[in-house]
Amino acid sequence: MKEFLIGRLTRHALPHEWFTIGGTAAFVLMAVFVIAILTWTKRWRWLWNEWLTSVDPKKIGIMYFLVAGFMLVRGGLDAIMMWLQQAISVDGAHGYLTADHFQQIFTAHGNIMVFFVAMGFIFGLINYIVPLQIGARDLASPFLNTLGFWLYVAGVIMVNLFFVLGGEYAATGWLAIAPLSGIDFSPGVGVDYWIWSLQISGIGTTLGGINFIMTILKMRAPGMTLWKMPMFTWGSLCSMVMAVMVFPLLTATLFLLFFDRYFGAHFFTALGGGDPMMYTNLIWMWGHPEVYILVLPAFGVFAEVVTTFSRKRIASYTSCVLAMIGVSVFALSVWLHHFFTMGAGANVNAFFGVMTMVIAVPTSVLFLVWVATMHKGRIRFDTPMLWFLGFVAVFTIGGLAGVVLAVPPADFQLHNSLFLVAHFHSNVIGGVLFGIFAGITYWFPKITGFKLNERIGRYAFWCWIVGFCMSFIPMYILGFMGATRRLDHYESSTGYQPFYVLMLIGGIIIAIGVALQIVQVIASIIQKKRDTTGDPWDGRTLEWASASAPPFYNFSSIPQVTSRDAFWEMKQQGLPAKKYEDIHMPTNTASGIYIAAFAFLAGFAFVWHINWLVVVSIIGIIAVAIARTFNEHTEYTITAKEVKKIEEDRQAKVSAYRTKDNRPDMGLWEFIMVVLKFFLDAVRSKRWRTR
Amino acid sequence: MSKKQHTNTSSNGEHGTTSSYVVGFILSLVFTFVPYYLVTGHVLSGSALLATILVFAVLQMLVQIIFFLHLGRERKPRWNLIFFIQTVAVILLVVVASLWIMHHLHYNMTPVTREDASKKLIEDEGIGQIGGEKTGACIGTHTTHKVIIKDGRVSPVHTDAKACDMLTFINEDDATREMTFGTHPHHGVYAGESELSVRKGRPQSITLSETGTYQFHDHLDADAAGTFTVEP
Amino acid sequence: MAHTVAAELELESHEAAADDRVMFGFWVYLMTDLLMFAVLFAVYAVLHGNTAGGPAGNELFSKPLALTETLLLLTSSFTCGLGMIAARRGNKAQVLSWFMVTFLLGLTFLGLELREFSQLIHEGHTLSSSAFLSSFFVLVGTHGLHITSGLLWMGTTLVFVKKRGLNRHMVRKLSLLSLFWHFLDIVWIFIFTVVYLMAFV
Repeated sequence: MKEFLIGRLTRHALPHEWFTIGGTAAFVLMAVFVIAILTWTKRWRWLWNEWLTSVDPKKIGIMYFLVAGFMLVRGGLDAIMMWLQQAISVDGAHGYLTADHFQQIFTAHGNIMVFFVAMGFIFGLINYIVPLQIGARDLASPFLNTLGFWLYVAGVIMVNLFFVLGGEYAATGWLAIAPLSGIDFSPGVGVDYWIWSLQISGIGTTLGGINFIMTILKMRAPGMTLWKMPMFTWGSLCSMVMAVMVFPLLTATLFLLFFDRYFGAHFFTALGGGDPMMYTNLIWMWGHPEVYILVLPAFGVFAEVVTTFSRKRIASYTSCVLAMIGVSVFALSVWLHHFFTMGAGANVNAFFGVMTMVIAVPTSVLFLVWVATMHKGRIRFDTPMLWFLGFVAVFTIGGLAGVVLAVPPADFQLHNSLFLVAHFHSNVIGGVLFGIFAGITYWFPKITGFKLNERIGRYAFWCWIVGFCMSFIPMYILGFMGATRRLDHYESSTGYQPFYVLMLIGGIIIAIGVALQIVQVIASIIQKKRDTTGDPWDGRTLEWASASAPPFYNFSSIPQVTSRDAFWEMKQQGLPAKKYEDIHMPTNTASGIYIAAFAFLAGFAFVWHINWLVVVSIIGIIAVAIARTFNEHTEYTITAKEVKKIEEDRQAKVSAYRTKDNRPDMGLWEFIMVVLKFFLDAVRSKRWRTR
Repeated sequence: MSKKQHTNTSSNGEHGTTSSYVVGFILSLVFTFVPYYLVTGHVLSGSALLATILVFAVLQMLVQIIFFLHLGRERKPRWNLIFFIQTVAVILLVVVASLWIMHHLHYNMTPVTREDASKKLIEDEGIGQIGGEKTGACIGTHTTHKVIIKDGRVSPVHTDAKACDMLTFINEDDATREMTFGTHPHHGVYAGESELSVRKGRPQSITLSETGTYQFHDHLDADAAGTFTVEP
Repeated sequence: MAHTVAAELELESHEAAADDRVMFGFWVYLMTDLLMFAVLFAVYAVLHGNTAGGPAGNELFSKPLALTETLLLLTSSFTCGLGMIAARRGNKAQVLSWFMVTFLLGLTFLGLELREFSQLIHEGHTLSSSAFLSSFFVLVGTHGLHITSGLLWMGTTLVFVKKRGLNRHMVRKLSLLSLFWHFLDIVWIFIFTVVYLMAFV
């Protein structure tokens, strides 16, 4: 009876090791804190109506940022734990992590960073910015948008749930290669959590990809042909087209691994005719395009940043777009370079080695176009531009390392060494993460309505660059010295330790950089230097035509587009007079949350073999989906008169702010003083005691 | 203002007529029965049959795409058609590349004993022939002959061996010895080796794949010399 | 009055644009589904020879059964198309009858497939017997699951059409459903060829 009710869940699944207890305690404390604040300020209804059930891509974008930021800290903690272990675990000392725990950490680190940090931030940026850039009010399917977000959240919860129930995550590496990930060699629940967190959020990504494609192809402002679209939109389009092409491959492969583990199938098992090499083939067929999916929107961000901060048109729009398309086409033909050493032989390796080198060509074209854009521009070194320059330095190193690895004989020496690890981190951090930072700092005034604190932003940037170089340049050297990846212990005779210690120090500097970024955001909000024009950088693209932060309908009237850099054109011609028209907006919906909740329960039930819950959850998903699709009242209309009133109210509010706010940015010391004063005042004032 | 009978001009231009569906249906029936009877009637066989039934499958797919799904009749830009072509391209890549890669992996990585692996490689890649002409490739394990150099003296001074045996140089002196072939100061090459650096505790071996009598010596100390004869 | 007419027309074009987007978005979803099937086909192609000493396809499959299933599904695709023509003409009665026929044909197909599966399992040839059987059951079974979803979708849509009549919303639903149904028949063509016919080549 008990087995029927709760499957394979036992008391033993509850936390009983130091890190599961610690993790659970941390989550519980955070949850209690949030619940307390919401209850004390009586904001439950507000949270539900304004944020959780919202279909506004701006709100969904901000929610993506918050969740992704939270996961960045978690993934970063994993990294620090690994660096610490590797710095001290030499000869007789074995550090503080068991080998199995270390393996779970590097697996979780990889999954979290790729799926939940990078994809989360990218989806946040695309959600917020692309509709504004193309002059749309919303995405093509607001329902799919909220559903995609909540499926992502379900994946996030699933990947953290093992702390509370189960006690183990996959210890297989971030892609869980078979047969290690099969039921024979990983009998615990770790790999099952791995499967379902990726499966659920992967389906969310596919749905989001479809949504973004629909939006970009079908909802552009009148006059905006494809060849007049801004660069970030192009990068997002190429990325999302790739996403819908390859995420189904991941979905299928995860299902096959699930069938092996749950039903005893023989797809990737060592016996019964299974073929583990097929798993490696399939998973990398998805895995390689995935990194290009992450980096193409970042390329789009950099194109925007470089043009705005060089105050010039992009050097060659056509080359840039064709290069982005080229990258996304070639990205689908290189995946075997991840397993040159698996034994496919010279002919196969040669083909994929050549294709891998070919993909460096369009990437270089992009670099050349952006650097050419800077040439003879009047460059401003605001924070976004700094991130772009950091990208140029770091991504180039990573890219060159990639070309080395693309040569199969060289890869036979360097495969799975720290050289490889340094290569992909240079590209992912230098490309994707710096792109995300550039995007967030660039569009920060648009999203929040406040200008950025540049001073602390510079400190954060330099911490990142110095920390990154200290962490990853030694890693290239270690790779040449023969250090393999995922090492949790080594002999001092190898000579690795000084490098590992250097890497740990670099990691700590990066952590300081992250802390400073958080400080930068808070300081910017405290300073309240409002962006009253909506156009703080003298931008070129349409998103700057809306207010900062935009109203929920984005534009009171959809602008007419006649050229590239549409907003720049509008400013030259003189901004058009305000027109008001009826606006149709989608209603909020909780269906996304409900479906995602059932999907989460289904995944949970699969992990613990609770069969009745599987059935109930699937029925729940179907029931909510049917209810939603047969609901014909999903929109409401705001009349032109109402729009006019909203706009006029906003104008009145904005003119009340100081229009010329040239106060100098607060520095770090000033920030600490302000925060201390805030807490001291709060403690001294009797308000909270008599509430 | 009745909207009930509103005709939907969907983006994929689904203005199907009854005749298009009938034509599509009949063609599909034909493209189903023909391959079926080709297989059951044993008309063709092997890869010809496989290729034929696959062609019919693709043809039927095209029939249904055109007559049932009306692809290609939408207004420009024909996004549905573009996405379909792209999907087909990726599917071809996935399926064909997987088959190519897995075929090569299976060929190279199928577990066999060392003897079988060597034989397979020799036969398939034409390195040598077994039971036919010998091209110099050696397979299997044979006797190992040891040549020990101690206090500047070589023992045994002469070694008799058969083809494909191994000759191991063992240096029991502290100084490193540079073993080479021929007489000092002339240096020769044997079986691709010109110089062997032999340190104490690190012996070096060569495969005796060439028949004949040969000399060797330590380049740094010409008195340490010897000979070996390799018989076929 | 003129204001209301203008507003109605504007709403019409807004809704027509929305319909266009939904049809396109659903098409893109079908492409992703096709790609997922492509992986299952690739896996079948690689693993179908790995019978782990057990029987291969030519010992387990029945050609006449496969042909019957193919004809059932093909005919249902045809009747589905006829149902769509009726929907565009606004003929509610014909919509209901043609889609009922489609539903019944689809249900029969599913019944035959379930019987085939249960017979195989009864004889001891299960998904865990060999890699060949794993890939067979998952490929054909996934198609069967899609057919089941399609039938469920069809059933609920027909109920709503009966109750609410044939408005623009319902016609759009039926268009999406018929896209899905045609697509499932196309995937079946390849299952018929690659799984059932190829076993006897």
